[in-house]
Amino acid sequence: MNYGPLIFLAAFFALASSWFGVVLTPQLNVGQLQQTNTLNGALYPVARPGTAQQGLQVYRANGCAQCHSQQIGQSGTVFDVLLANAGTNRAALSEALQKVKPTLSAADADQLLSRIPVEVARFTRREEADAAVKTLSVGGAKAQFLVCPVGPDITRGWGKRRNVAEDYLFDSPTLLGSVRIGPDLANVGVRQPDINWHLRHLYAPKSEVKGSTMPSYPYLFEKRKAGRQPSSEALALTSELAAEKGWEIVPTPEGKALVAYLVSLRSDAPLFISPISLASAAPAEVGTNASAANASAATNAPASK
Amino acid sequence: MSATESPIPSSSVGSSPGCGALSSGIDSSSRLPLLILFGAGAFWLVVSSLLGLISSIKFHSPNFLAEPAWLTYGRVRPAFADSLLYGFCLQVALAAGLWLAARLGRTVIKPLPIIAGAKLLNIGVVLGVLGILSGDASGFDTLNFPRYAAAFIFGGYFLIGVPAVLMFHRRAVRTLYVSQWFLLAALFWFPWIYSTANLLVVAFPLRGVAQPIIAWWYAANFQFVWMGLVGLAITFYLVPKVTGRELVSQNLALFAFWTLILFGSWTGIPRSAPVPAYLPSISTVATVLTTLVFVSVALVIWKTVDGKIGLLWDSLSLRFVTVGLVCFLTAGLMNIADSVAAFGAITNFTWFTIAQTQLLSYGFFSMTLFGAMYFITPQIVGRELPFPKWAGVHFWMATLGILFGLAPLALGGIVQGRNLLNAEVAFVDVAKSTLMFLRVSTLGDVLILVGHGLLFVNLLVLGLRLVRITCQAFLAEAISEAQPAGVKS
Amino acid sequence: MNANLNQPVMVDVAEPKAVSGQVPVWLFLLGFVLLFWGMYYFDQRSGWFKTEVYSPYISVADLQRFQPPTGGVDLGRGRAIYENVCALCHNPDGAGKPNQAPPLAGSEWATGSPARMLRIPLAGLTGPIDVKGQQWNLAMPAMGAQMSDEDLAATLSYIRLSWGNKASEITPEMVKAIRAQVGNRSQPFTGPELLSIPEK
Repeated sequence: MNYGPLIFLAAFFALASSWFGVVLTPQLNVGQLQQTNTLNGALYPVARPGTAQQGLQVYRANGCAQCHSQQIGQSGTVFDVLLANAGTNRAALSEALQKVKPTLSAADADQLLSRIPVEVARFTRREEADAAVKTLSVGGAKAQFLVCPVGPDITRGWGKRRNVAEDYLFDSPTLLGSVRIGPDLANVGVRQPDINWHLRHLYAPKSEVKGSTMPSYPYLFEKRKAGRQPSSEALALTSELAAEKGWEIVPTPEGKALVAYLVSLRSDAPLFISPISLASAAPAEVGTNASAANASAATNAPASK
Repeated sequence: MSATESPIPSSSVGSSPGCGALSSGIDSSSRLPLLILFGAGAFWLVVSSLLGLISSIKFHSPNFLAEPAWLTYGRVRPAFADSLLYGFCLQVALAAGLWLAARLGRTVIKPLPIIAGAKLLNIGVVLGVLGILSGDASGFDTLNFPRYAAAFIFGGYFLIGVPAVLMFHRRAVRTLYVSQWFLLAALFWFPWIYSTANLLVVAFPLRGVAQPIIAWWYAANFQFVWMGLVGLAITFYLVPKVTGRELVSQNLALFAFWTLILFGSWTGIPRSAPVPAYLPSISTVATVLTTLVFVSVALVIWKTVDGKIGLLWDSLSLRFVTVGLVCFLTAGLMNIADSVAAFGAITNFTWFTIAQTQLLSYGFFSMTLFGAMYFITPQIVGRELPFPKWAGVHFWMATLGILFGLAPLALGGIVQGRNLLNAEVAFVDVAKSTLMFLRVSTLGDVLILVGHGLLFVNLLVLGLRLVRITCQAFLAEAISEAQPAGVKS
Repeated sequence: MNANLNQPVMVDVAEPKAVSGQVPVWLFLLGFVLLFWGMYYFDQRSGWFKTEVYSPYISVADLQRFQPPTGGVDLGRGRAIYENVCALCHNPDGAGKPNQAPPLAGSEWATGSPARMLRIPLAGLTGPIDVKGQQWNLAMPAMGAQMSDEDLAATLSYIRLSWGNKASEITPEMVKAIRAQVGNRSQPFTGPELLSIPEK
């Protein structure tokens, strides 16, 4: 019997299976995603403004994705219990506080109460957080829990929650990057909203970040004669970098577009699939016990492989 | 003038006169197209390693050549990577694969479509590299060539691939040797993945995060599956051929074949990707299952030489293939280690992953192709290379270059990863901690460039000598025909 | 060692052959073990093809448990908005910045009448005003005019409960009511104007 065609078909299906699984299936679910709503009801994502979209093309053309990633990761989610209002019965509240956090001494508990509103405890399970909130609601005291994603990227301040497919819905091309020779940029518009900082950084990275290994991009700027007054677009550079008297450095349209794009990069909206209470990413300020030290260990994922 | 009437003495006396004559017919029919593909490949090799050296210097001296837009790191690096992949790897792989298929099937290569295909391929690579340097890159690794370049490359591939498949169809020896399985699968797989990726990511991009998913799928299928298929085809041919032993065993090699195409094609999605959880977990499972590929390949080679590894060192071409094999197994180990949660969290987004893909495309595949080139070229031209000693130097340059170029990247990646995980280390210090490793790896890149230069000059001089001999013979014939009838030489 | 390198190229060997041996059984066993592990891993980590499930969450039900609570004033949100919007001038610890913004910590305006406090972000403030015994003569834009009722309520409640301030919360309903009273006013309030508004 001629096995040739059979073998050919089998090899064909073996290879084609990955096309079905990794190309077709994602196109059918992830590729058909529409705008969704944030937990506050706003539409998400919103398309970037025109200059920012042009900036994305500048980002692509200059290979920024060769050094910068745009994907925040998350290793787990925890619940921070926030004590908002002391209510009227301070003694009972102090007792409740010690019940919620048995390692707290009475003195520390009182010290915490004087810093209201303050985060008092961190839990990994919803039931524990609910129970703590209930315990703390004595004498009119108000407590609530905040949902906080944790992970090395988040601790580093690069983002507030993990990125999901909806974050990139309107970006074409979607340049996620695969190396971090430079910092992650998914949330850089929140971290660094100052356009002028970005312009100066692109012109001379070392002037803004000491010891930076990023190359400079002088071709995104041009030197031109200054008018009687320096224009509003001129970069404010230190004396060794600034142009000589009568000249100024201004960004070209590409430079402006790129910075507009960078400043538009944000992914901190709370979504159903990536929930966050929008509390700041600062770890819990608990008396003497640094519970935040174990932030990255507090995961709820099943035991790792 | 038909190729078989070349004045260059035909090669090879086989075990039987008929076999020898056919072999020589195969070799001489493939001479021109293969030399063109090899030569062009060697040229792109030099270009890409030059670009690679430039980008390597820029890691630790970022203001080196920072002024012109076309030399910025973000453009030079993808130009280097893609010119290596399409300028060298693709062309020489097709050439070696054609020769292998012709020899194993005892068929003759028809040179014309191959030469036309080679022209289109090279035009495509030129357009692609210039496109990237002028800012037209698509932005996705291994897929950076703009769509017009990709069209030329696809057309060139077609002109080479279709005759190759027809050659299979016409083959005189009906039973398939293992390498032919690998080659046939590779011949069909490349156009599928290349067209899918370019259509859905570069030409008519899908929405959102579906683009990088398909780009990752393509990168894994091209650099792991396709290069694995062609590289193993060459390895499973050269090891038994040069050592004079029989491949042990056919079934084990086919086991490697099936596991490679079944599991290898599902790898590629990184763990941390912003995609629904099922995609990275499928990729992780597939990556762990590729252990079977590496175990079976190692087993085949081990059993073929019956444990006497020294046999793999005896011939120059085999040395290249052996180093390639070691790199293949190392890259596989790195990939599998990457998929383990604890280790993968460290190496994610670091130089380690770059080192791993480079080990696959350069350490494994390019070295295997060098072995094939050094084996095939003397056979098809019937003479030694002009500077045979340089081949040995090239070997050491390449091997040391891989060692000094990629090992520091891998180690630096681990250091970088551990620092990245520790939020107390400022990012600037993370970057600083990798600088020493990057400086050492530049040294490796210099060695690699020198080795490539040697290969290129070797082939260039060979080509020039062949042209000179051909012209001389042509002239001699013309003169003898022009002599009056009575006076014969 | 380098024998083959210098030999003449004329020697050709027959094409390689492969013996048909057995694939060792342990290789298949290894394959099955890995497949078994793979199925277990996939079951645990994949979310079973649901588009909504991203690691570290394991299922949609798991995701539900991590949704933040709704209703009431979200002080965490208030703090986030304060730090993103107000802290640029008023300082993250509410101490204000000279020549930029008066302090909020211990300020009678921040802890006093909600009706007066709410009008400031809704329409802006300009001209001389006394804060904690000092006179400030600056201009504040209507930072809260574009905010939703919930967001503004959360931010102002956060201000009223932080840095030692102990005042009542401001609810979204209060914001709505005052917003209706302020209307489309484009002129910022002045200090004396605010003082003329009844406390309750």
